[in-house]
Amino acid sequence: MKKLIALLMMLMLVVCALPAMAEVDTSEHVVITYLVTGDIPNNRTDEVLGKINEILTEKVNAELAIQWIEWTDWTTKYNLALATQSGDIDLIGTATDWLNAWPNIQKGAFLPLTEEMLQTYAPNTWAQVPAENWELCKYNGEIYLMPEDNYAQWTNHGFLYRGDWAKEAGLENGVNSWEELQVYFQYIKDNKADVIPWDANGNGSSYAPQMAGGWQTSHTPNIYIEGIGVDLFYGNSKDDPYTLSTYYVEGDELVNFATEMKEWADAGYWRTDVLNYTGDVMTEMKEGKTGAHQHHTQTWTGERTNMEEKQPGSDVGFFWFGKEQSNVIALNITHGAMAVAMTSQNPERALMVYDLMRNDPEIYRLMQYGIEGDMYTLDENGYIVRPEGWDDSTMGVSMNFWWGRNDQLELRSAKTDWEAVDALYAEYDAVKVNYPYGRVVFDLSSIQMYLDNLSNVYNTYMPRITFGMVDDPAAYVAEFRQQLKAAGIDICMEEIQKQINAAYGL
Amino acid sequence: MDKTKAVKYQRPSLARTLNQNKTLILMCVPAIIFFFVFSYMPMPGAYIAFTNFQYNKGIFGSPFIGLQNFKFLFMSGQLTLLLRNTILYNLAFIILGNVLQLTFAILLNEVQSKAYKKTTQSMMFLPYFISDVLVSLLVYNLLNYDFGFISNLVRNLGGEMPKVYQMPNAWPIIIVLVNLWKGTGYGTVVYFAAITGMDSSMMEAAQIDGANGFQRIRYITLPTLKPTVIILFLFAIGGILKGNFGLFYNLVGANSMLFNTTDIIETYVYRSMMNSFNFSQSSAVGLFQSVVGFFIVMAANAFVKHLDPEYALF
Repeated sequence: MKKLIALLMMLMLVVCALPAMAEVDTSEHVVITYLVTGDIPNNRTDEVLGKINEILTEKVNAELAIQWIEWTDWTTKYNLALATQSGDIDLIGTATDWLNAWPNIQKGAFLPLTEEMLQTYAPNTWAQVPAENWELCKYNGEIYLMPEDNYAQWTNHGFLYRGDWAKEAGLENGVNSWEELQVYFQYIKDNKADVIPWDANGNGSSYAPQMAGGWQTSHTPNIYIEGIGVDLFYGNSKDDPYTLSTYYVEGDELVNFATEMKEWADAGYWRTDVLNYTGDVMTEMKEGKTGAHQHHTQTWTGERTNMEEKQPGSDVGFFWFGKEQSNVIALNITHGAMAVAMTSQNPERALMVYDLMRNDPEIYRLMQYGIEGDMYTLDENGYIVRPEGWDDSTMGVSMNFWWGRNDQLELRSAKTDWEAVDALYAEYDAVKVNYPYGRVVFDLSSIQMYLDNLSNVYNTYMPRITFGMVDDPAAYVAEFRQQLKAAGIDICMEEIQKQINAAYGL
Repeated sequence: MDKTKAVKYQRPSLARTLNQNKTLILMCVPAIIFFFVFSYMPMPGAYIAFTNFQYNKGIFGSPFIGLQNFKFLFMSGQLTLLLRNTILYNLAFIILGNVLQLTFAILLNEVQSKAYKKTTQSMMFLPYFISDVLVSLLVYNLLNYDFGFISNLVRNLGGEMPKVYQMPNAWPIIIVLVNLWKGTGYGTVVYFAAITGMDSSMMEAAQIDGANGFQRIRYITLPTLKPTVIILFLFAIGGILKGNFGLFYNLVGANSMLFNTTDIIETYVYRSMMNSFNFSQSSAVGLFQSVVGFFIVMAANAFVKHLDPEYALF
C-alpha cells in the first residue's frame, strides 16, 4: 500500500511537472560542459557521445561536452577548475567524501538549486529522490547536490586475497580476521618463493589512512566521520554515534596496532622500503607475485573474474575491514552527486541534460555500456555480454558517470561472479547501518589552521606506524599523541563535537 | 637653457636609444612579454593571501582577513627546521652546481674535437628532461634494500647493504647528487655560451705571449666569466626559500623517517594542506617565500655593488 501511494505521488509529481516542462524555452542550441575526474579515454567514447548528443539535441536542444580532470594531480586540478570557473563548466561531478563537496559549497563553487528549478527542469530526478535524501543535500537550507541515491554499491575497504592459497594455509573458510590474515601472509612467506605476501604500495597518501582505519573499524565499533580532511575523527559506535572517539588520543588499541604491524614488518610481509614503493599491486597479483591487495569491495567484484582468467583457480576472496565487529556503514548517498556550476550560463538546460543522463534508458545505456548490438548484447537473463576479445580501454565507452547511476537502468555483466558478489552484499546488508552524520556540514574555518598542522602530524607519524617502521611502537605512539596534542587535537575535537551536537540537537 | 653646458656629455634621448637598439629590443620582446604576462600581470592576485577566498566573489570581492593565512606556518613549530633544510639544500645546489657547471664549460671549451664536444653536451643535457617521477623510480631501483641494483651488487660481492631508505643522513648527499646530475648539463651550456662569446683576440694574444692552458683559464677565462657568475648567483639567490617540490616529494614521498633532513617548505605545505585546498593559505606561503627572496636579492645586490658597482644587477 505504501509503495502504491509512493508511486501515485511520483506520478502526480511528474504530471504536475509536465506542463512546466513544456514551457521551457529550448529554442537556442547550447553546449553543456560536464566536468569529471578521469583520464581522457582512448576508446569509442567520442563516437558514443556523438550518438548521445543527437538524442540530447532532439529532446532538449543541447549537447554534452566533457572536460576531463586527469588523474595526475587530480585533486589540485579539480579544485582549481572549480575556483577559476567562468561560465566554462555547467555540470560538475562531486562527492562529499572524496571530492570536497561541502567545502566547495561553502566557498561558493556551486549554484543553489531551488525546488522549483528541480521540479521544472529535472522532474524525474526530483520525483525519484525521497524528501529525506534531499535534506542531506542541503547547506543553509538550500539544495546544492543531486545525490546518487538509487544505486547499490559498496566501497568499503578490505583485503583481496587468494582463496586457493588460503585453503593451502589451512584457512578453509578463507580469511575472516586480522589473525587469519597473518596466518595467510606467514604461509606465503614460508611456502611461496619469490612472492611478497603483500607488496604494499606505501608511498600513496591514502594507503596508510585506509589501512589504519581498517584496523580501527575491525577492532573498535568506531565510525568514520567524513569531510574533515584528516582521518583522526571517528564517532564512538552505532549505538553512540554522536560522541567522538578518543582512539587517537588515548587507549591501547592504537598501540596494539603499532605493535602488531611492527611484527608484520619484521616478518617481511611487505618489502623493507615499503614507504617509497610505488608499484601497481593489482597487476603484481595478476602476475602471481603478491598474495594480497588492499582496496575496496567494488574492485574485488571486478577483479575476482579477471584474476580467474590470469591465475586460474585463484578464487579471490575479500576480507572486509570491520568484519570482526560487524562494523560496516552503508555508503553515504553523496559519495557521488552532481552539482551545477555557480557560473553556468545555462543552469536550466544543464539540469535537463542531467535528468536525461540519469533517467533516460537510451542515453543511460549508451553512456554506461555503449551501442547495443555493436558493443554489447544481452543474454537470456538480460545480462550484458561483450563481444569476443573485448578490451574496455580501447573498445568501450568511459563517461565516468558516478554522479547519478540508477539501479533501474543498470545492466549486470554476465562475466561477474554474481553468486559470490550477492552473497557478500547480503552479508553487508544484514549488519550495515546508514551513515549517521549525513546532516552535519562542518564549518571548519575556525579550526582549519589546527587541522592543517594535524594533517602534517598525521602524515608524518601514521605511515610509519601503519607499516611497522618503528623501533619501539609504544614509545612512538606516545610521541605521536604528544604531537597531536601540541598541534591542537583537543581544540578540534571540542569544536567538531560542538557542531555535531548542534546538528543533532544534543 | 644654457647651451654651453650641453657641450659636456649629453644623454641620448629615449627615442634615439630605442631607435639605435631596435634590433636588440625586438629580440627581447618575447622575453618581455613572457615576464609581463606570467610574472607581472598575476601580481595583484597575491592579494588572495590576505583573504578568505570565496570562488563566487572572486579574489578582490572576498573578505579581507589580514595576516590570518600566514599564521599556520609559524605556529607549526617546524619553521626553523624547514628554513634550515630549504636554505642549506639551495646553497648546496647553487654553489656546487655553479662550480661544476663552470668546470665542465671550461673543460668542454678546451676540447678540440667538435664531434666529441657536441655528443658530450647532448649527453649531459639529457637528464634535465627526465621527470622527477622517473628519477625517483631510478633511484629506488638502484638503492632499495630488497631488490635494488646496488643492493644486489653489494650482496653478490659479499658485502652488507645498508638500509638507505632508513638513513636520514644519506639523503642530503643523494638529493644533491641527483640535482647536480639533472642540472649540470643545462648550466654548462649557459657558461659555455658565455665562453664562446669571449673576444678571441685576447686568447690569441695570450697564446703568443706564451701563456699555457692553465694560465689562460686562470687569467682570462675565469675573470671574463665573473660577471656572468655573479648575475646567475644573484638570480639564484632570490629563490633560496623555494624548494623543488617535484624532486623532494618524489624521492622521499611518505617516508617520514627521512623528513628530518629532507623536509622543505613545499613538502610540509603539501602534507598539511593536501585535503583542505586552501588557496589563500598556500598563496600566503608562496608570498612569504617571495618577499624574503626579494629582500635577500636586494641585500646581495647592494653587497655586490659595494664591492664593485660594475657587477651589480642594478
